[in-house]
Amino acid sequence: MRYFKKISIIIIIVIGLLLIVDRLPSIEENEILIKDVVIKNSEGLNKINFNQEMKFDPIVMKAINKGIPLVFKVTLRVVEVGDIWPTKTLSKKVGHYQIEYKSLRKVYKIRDINGNSYEYKYIDEAVQKILKVENFEFTFINDYKNYELWLNVALDRKKLPKPLQVNYFDTTWYMISNKSIHKL
Amino acid sequence: MKIKLKYIITTVAFIGIALLILLAKSISNSDVISSDSFRILLGLNIFFICSLIILIAVQIFRLLQSVKKEITGSRLTLRLVLSFALMGIIPVLIIYLVSVNFLTKSIESWFDVKVESALEGGLTLGQKTIDILMSDIELKGKSIAYSIGNAEKEDRNNILTDLRAKFGIQDAVIFDQDSKIIELSSKKNNLIPSIPDASDLERGGEGFFGRIEEITGEDIYLKAFIPISSKNLMGEKLILQLSQPIPPSIANLALSVESVYDEYQQLTYSRNSLKIIYILTLTLVLLLALLSSVAASFVISRKFSSPLAMLADATRQISKGNYKKIISEQGKDEIGVLISSFNSMTSQLEEATKNSEKDRERLEIARTFLETILAHLTTGVIVIDDKKIIRLNNVSASKMLQNKEKKMNDIKIEKIIKNNSLFKPLYEFVETYIDDNKKNKKEISKEFRLKKEEKERTIMLQITPLRDKKNTQYVLVFDDISEVTQAQRQSAWGEIARRLAHEIKNPLTPIQLSAERIQHKFSDKLSKEDSIILERSTSVIVNQVNALKLMVNEFAEYARPPKIQKDIIRIDNLVDEVVDLYEIDKIIKIKKDKNIPIIYADQNKLRQVIINLIENSKDALEEIKNPIIKIFIRKKIGEVELIIEDNGIGIPDEIIERIFEPYVTSKKAGTGLGLAIVHKIIEEHEGKIKIERINTSGTRVIIKFKSGKK
Repeated sequence: MRYFKKISIIIIIVIGLLLIVDRLPSIEENEILIKDVVIKNSEGLNKINFNQEMKFDPIVMKAINKGIPLVFKVTLRVVEVGDIWPTKTLSKKVGHYQIEYKSLRKVYKIRDINGNSYEYKYIDEAVQKILKVENFEFTFINDYKNYELWLNVALDRKKLPKPLQVNYFDTTWYMISNKSIHKL
Repeated sequence: MKIKLKYIITTVAFIGIALLILLAKSISNSDVISSDSFRILLGLNIFFICSLIILIAVQIFRLLQSVKKEITGSRLTLRLVLSFALMGIIPVLIIYLVSVNFLTKSIESWFDVKVESALEGGLTLGQKTIDILMSDIELKGKSIAYSIGNAEKEDRNNILTDLRAKFGIQDAVIFDQDSKIIELSSKKNNLIPSIPDASDLERGGEGFFGRIEEITGEDIYLKAFIPISSKNLMGEKLILQLSQPIPPSIANLALSVESVYDEYQQLTYSRNSLKIIYILTLTLVLLLALLSSVAASFVISRKFSSPLAMLADATRQISKGNYKKIISEQGKDEIGVLISSFNSMTSQLEEATKNSEKDRERLEIARTFLETILAHLTTGVIVIDDKKIIRLNNVSASKMLQNKEKKMNDIKIEKIIKNNSLFKPLYEFVETYIDDNKKNKKEISKEFRLKKEEKERTIMLQITPLRDKKNTQYVLVFDDISEVTQAQRQSAWGEIARRLAHEIKNPLTPIQLSAERIQHKFSDKLSKEDSIILERSTSVIVNQVNALKLMVNEFAEYARPPKIQKDIIRIDNLVDEVVDLYEIDKIIKIKKDKNIPIIYADQNKLRQVIINLIENSKDALEEIKNPIIKIFIRKKIGEVELIIEDNGIGIPDEIIERIFEPYVTSKKAGTGLGLAIVHKIIEEHEGKIKIERINTSGTRVIIKFKSGKK
């Protein structure tokens, strides 16, 4: 008992630290679900199409209507699955698509992964558009080894206004997909 | 390696400041630090602050431990730490609260309702302007579409060109339903028209459809799609597309208002985040400031308390007698002066202590010297105060007063003497002297003859007053002069004996000769009866003269000047030789140790001693049934002991103390000089003689001689 009395300060500090550390990874992330992935190869050119499911929080919707652009980053990796080392990245491609409200013209402007722009009067139409990613090209020569395609989609926080970027405690803006893996 | 606390805290403080600067930088609009870096920086700052908390906690823990262990200076350090910490914490907390309040209100004030309304108004104005321009182009488009619809096919281009120019439209293009260009007219000659989306044409085919297009972020174009309908077309479905740029001045203003509006909206939206981040950063700054001030307070407190602790430690060392403790100089401030003075004081104290130590040593030597003298004095010395309490005494005093304890300090002299009534007259004399209120009392001395149970002792007492400013003490010096007086008596007796012997011995021979001559001459001439009377009378005279001669010879022996001829003798052999003379009696038993050492003595005198003592024993055994004389010769360390004891009638108690004095005897026919002569011979041999009664009956004489040649 006396010993515990002696180290009580240290115990309190350690508990405090543990609480802080515990708080850090407890930030919930809004998951983006990647589905219906189709990889096409025509004339040596690889293209990928996929759909996404993501829950647009009312806060996010409000942010879009306030003119905050949401830029999503698509990261695509072709990896070779080895025996000793699990992976070896053969190629990597990063693409972006975004949604933005233009207040002057009252339209939702979409820029797809290939850089094409679309404008919609209603947000639902715009959202439906960004959920579909089509014809995202990537280079890959298939020599029928043990290759995998790893796909990730995440909201690019760097494109958010600075206060939202650095507000680490606001979990709304952690929109990220699971790692979608596909055999090539 | 033990790193000093001040270096740790300084390093930690620098790291903390650097981290805070980076954190502050990261929340500004600068792109130098990304949001990911902010996350790392935030984590690092929190970790750093936690480290600082742990560091301080460890320091507090150590300090409390020190206080508990009562380490010098720890309490002062604790007090200083608390004071400094409070001095830091209170203003920083006030600043923090004011800053948070100010910051929150400042951020809120950015988002003024009027500003928002103005921006919304500006945006709406832009939208309305565009709407008006769009309505205008709709009217113009419908007019052109009507004219073309009623015109012949070959006139369409002219009408289109004329009307476009008339209405001030930049581009006018007629598409069929397959997006094929039918007619084209443009203000610019080199127009290459862009093909509109099929959806736009489709919607335009159903009725008016207008769209605003932003090109390169600077120009805004109005695009209008109007269906052309007429019977002349014979079922052909044509769509007129008009493109008209909004005047640059209006477009720029509208886009500018849109941009500002968007930024304002974004800022409004993220103001909570902004508040959180600023408050978080401010809190981190506060924590860092607080913790740094607390950490710094440890360093400063130790800096302040360290010399004081050193002083306290040095004081303690000095109190233990270590004057070598010199504190290193600590600058020229008040503490430095204090330390310098302390060191100076220590040196002086050391010097004074050394002198004092020397004095003390001298005093100690003198005291030891005095004590040694007193201890070895056969004279008893007692110092008493005016309350008759003993303040000092020597061993001889204890012995003489027959006290069990050697030290009699702080005891009333009355108590010591009360235990022994022998010294009552002595005490009364002392009491009278001390209680006498006479001023300038003089030294006094008196001889006391103390007698108890036939034991007589002669004590010479001298009282000397010792006066100081406050009190008077008295030194009592008393000496047992019993032996001296006895020696004096013996000496006097010797002198008398010598003179008597001389005076008496001379006429004895003529008396004896005269008596023998009278008998010889007149015995024949007298009658038988008278002759018998004469013979008897002359015999008496001769016998008495012989007796007188014997007595005078013994006197002469007793009174003779000491003249002995010492030689190496073996006392056991001498005893054997003497005992052989008494072989006939067979009452003497000798018991002796082996290897009795030689002694240096006058053989004839010792023989006389042994014979004398045996004769005494024999006299004492005359009426004893089983008479026995035991002689023991024992070897002692540095001595040879001769004991002659008998089981005779013994010596009466009343004379045993004075038995060695002349004419002290228990025998009817003795002269009383035998033992006196024995005593004298033994004294001349520097030996010791003691006579004692044996418990049951008999006497034991113990004689001790020094062994060796001299």
